[in-house]
Amino acid sequence: MAAGAASEREAAVGPGTPAPSYSAMVAARFAQRRLAVFGGRAVLGLALLATLAPALAQNQPFYWDAGQGAELPWLSALFNRLLFENAVDLFFNLLLVLAVPAALVIRLLRRLRPGLTRARAWLGALGVALSLFVCASVEGVGDLKNPLYFTQRVVNYRVERERLAALGQEPVAWFPVVPYSYRETDPQHSLRSPSSEHWLGTDSEGRDVFCRMLYGTRVSLTIGIVAVSIYVAIGTALGALAGYFGGWVDTLICRLVEVMITFPSFFLILTLAALIPRRSIFHVMLIIGLTSWTGVARLVRAEFLRQKNLDYVQAALALGLPRRRVIFRHILPNAVAAALVAATFGIASAILTESSLSFLGVGDMSVASWGETLSAGRVQQKAWLVLAPGAAIFFVVTVFNLVGEGVRDALDPKLRQ
Amino acid sequence: MRAYLLRRLLVMIPTLFWISLIVFVVLNLAPGRPGELGGDVETNARGEQTQDSFRIFREQFNLDKPILLNTRPWLTPAEVRRDLEMAAELQPVSIAERIAAQDRLGDLGAYGVPHFMAVLEQANAAGQPRLRDAAAYFLRQSAPRRLSDPFNPHPSAAVRAYNDGVARERAALGRLRYGFDAREADKQAVLAGWREWYTGARARFEYEDVEKLRILFFDTRFAKYWNNLLRLDLGVSLATREPVLSALLSKLKYSVSLSLSSLALAYLIAVPIGVVSAARRGTPLDRVTTVALFMLHSLPSFFVATMLLLAFSEASPWPALRLFPTGGFQSRDVAEMTTLGRLRDVVWHLVLPVACLTYGSLALLSRYVRSGLLEVLGADYIRTARAKGLSERAVIGKHALRNSLLPIITLLANLLPAVVGGSVVIEYIFGIPGIGQWTIDSIHRRDYNVIMGVQLVTTVLVLLGMLLADVGYALADPRIRYR
Repeated sequence: MAAGAASEREAAVGPGTPAPSYSAMVAARFAQRRLAVFGGRAVLGLALLATLAPALAQNQPFYWDAGQGAELPWLSALFNRLLFENAVDLFFNLLLVLAVPAALVIRLLRRLRPGLTRARAWLGALGVALSLFVCASVEGVGDLKNPLYFTQRVVNYRVERERLAALGQEPVAWFPVVPYSYRETDPQHSLRSPSSEHWLGTDSEGRDVFCRMLYGTRVSLTIGIVAVSIYVAIGTALGALAGYFGGWVDTLICRLVEVMITFPSFFLILTLAALIPRRSIFHVMLIIGLTSWTGVARLVRAEFLRQKNLDYVQAALALGLPRRRVIFRHILPNAVAAALVAATFGIASAILTESSLSFLGVGDMSVASWGETLSAGRVQQKAWLVLAPGAAIFFVVTVFNLVGEGVRDALDPKLRQ
Repeated sequence: MRAYLLRRLLVMIPTLFWISLIVFVVLNLAPGRPGELGGDVETNARGEQTQDSFRIFREQFNLDKPILLNTRPWLTPAEVRRDLEMAAELQPVSIAERIAAQDRLGDLGAYGVPHFMAVLEQANAAGQPRLRDAAAYFLRQSAPRRLSDPFNPHPSAAVRAYNDGVARERAALGRLRYGFDAREADKQAVLAGWREWYTGARARFEYEDVEKLRILFFDTRFAKYWNNLLRLDLGVSLATREPVLSALLSKLKYSVSLSLSSLALAYLIAVPIGVVSAARRGTPLDRVTTVALFMLHSLPSFFVATMLLLAFSEASPWPALRLFPTGGFQSRDVAEMTTLGRLRDVVWHLVLPVACLTYGSLALLSRYVRSGLLEVLGADYIRTARAKGLSERAVIGKHALRNSLLPIITLLANLLPAVVGGSVVIEYIFGIPGIGQWTIDSIHRRDYNVIMGVQLVTTVLVLLGMLLADVGYALADPRIRYR
């Protein structure tokens, strides 16, 4: 194993250079696993697809000219809250518009300040995007209208073009490849099987299934990442407290974990979700996050128990560092590896849980959820309505599980079997 | 061992207590209330008659009590007055707020009586007829005592005497009423009647400090629920008025046969698969099974279930594949079958659901079997066994397997909650009338007693399963001693 580690180290940086950092070693080990790398690329691809969804499928043309001057309906539709009502869509649309400018700004900043690492710059960009998102998602406070909360009458340009074509006019219109919106219902074209017009058919309300699959990527990725972030935060905090302080804190937290573990948690999640009136996708994330932290808490606790007696912790304490700093800056980075593995697998299972919930009809009906389409396919007994979302869920879950295995093996080669 | 078992069983009680507390609080804080199904607040104007039956319904199920802590003995007349003003539309509030205030006042019961009386006197003196009439209305609702032990067909003499007294008082109080359009002199006569009654009954509404503490903790929904629970009474379903426990037990047989057969099947298949792929480590066979199991693990069970139904049930487009029923646990003509035929019928119905429920845990289990066996195969005593010339079959089957199987017994504890939870979706898809489907229906109907009962009973089952796993581990491995 020692020889293997050394050769890995050399593979990462070549001979003669100083020993690589821990994260570089982990990255090098991860890169050796072909399937894990494939999984990682697929996740990035999915994120890209989620971001680019409006550019691929939308009933608003990029360019529109019906003889009354040129219009750019697609761009203004991106932030129209009557069309993209959901906050998940708002976030991804912001990402879509801001990603290229952000890349340019970061490039410039890195040239001006060579000390800035790329990861830190992108983290900052994400922070800016998130705060913009929060600013834009509030409709207003009291009587004050938020100027960033933008609404505009929604025009279905595809229908408009058909109407004009019937009148003998030919507007200039550049539509995305799939000229449908994921919430656009069309009762006259419900339950059509796949065709060149609707690539994956339409559901029972006449909505384009391909479009819903595409926008469903946004929902699934958000669910996975947000729900897991919530429970990793809770689990890490409680696990760290229990492991470091021991005594009655430990007893209390362990009891709590035991209680939560004996719950058939899907029952609890289902009950909670069903009891919330007007639930949104964020409620679902919160519920999954609040009920699934036990695994992370146990892992982090065990790791803290192991680490807190090691020499480096004693040294840090002997230096007189405040306890908070020892816990967060010294032990936590060493203990968090186990939580990271659990988190990657957790994303897969959070996505599964959400799709089960919307399959049972207790999800958020306003977003394009894969589980909901699958449920419609079950009711209508249409194989294509079941296959498309099923394959999508399967793919996403597999991909995250592959990444999870890769991360696990890379973080701790001893676990590899 | 016996002491260990006893201790484990005792530890279950606090765990159950905490779980019931969590579920109870969640259920009771959720908006929307039983007995008031559908209809939104705005349109839900209730007449006096329905108001009465609604109140009786709430009293019957203790829904008029506070959830965890009863602070009503510390109520002040000012708080009651504010609610009364809202209820009597003396303050500009929305309809929803008004109805909420009315409900709060209606739930107060005996704790409200002195305050209603006080507000009534204040309003009468200050010349606020509407406030006074509202106070008199709620006074009349709250003043009558409840019968003690009303459903007992053979009450003791003391109980009967008490109930007779209550009934006489109720009849007398029932006459102390006036319509809102009655003449002022009549109203004053009725009020005088109330005053007279209150001076006589006043002591009933004054509490000592100890009494207040008792009320604080024990006159609550949660305490009443646990009081019933200790007598193994899970209450009755708010929707069907069936006792929850007996309905639950009758539905449990479907869910338990589903879960148990799937678990048994998972263990039966997982062990050979794990052994073969460990013994042939690195061969194409091993790699194929690893990948296949990995993919099975990622397949959502509701997707597989739906596809299997579409392919192999009556709904199948290919007649040759219409092998299995579309759902249910038994055929409709089950009564005319022989015992063997009945068994075959159940098995025929369970093939698809059990398959769907099994493959997920199968993937997990066989991975554990494989890695456990690989670990053991590196041990010294295996090298010894090989060195003395034992066949590979004997080495793996006799020496390695037995030791490697021990840890997967404890996996049962991890699998159980997942299997129980997973059966919700499977029961829903295959229309099996077990507790999973019942839960979904009850959640939609806000049938709190059922949801609560199901949660508690499944938790007990899971706890027992975990205990069983630990005991089984101790029995199988003589090195482990529980004290």
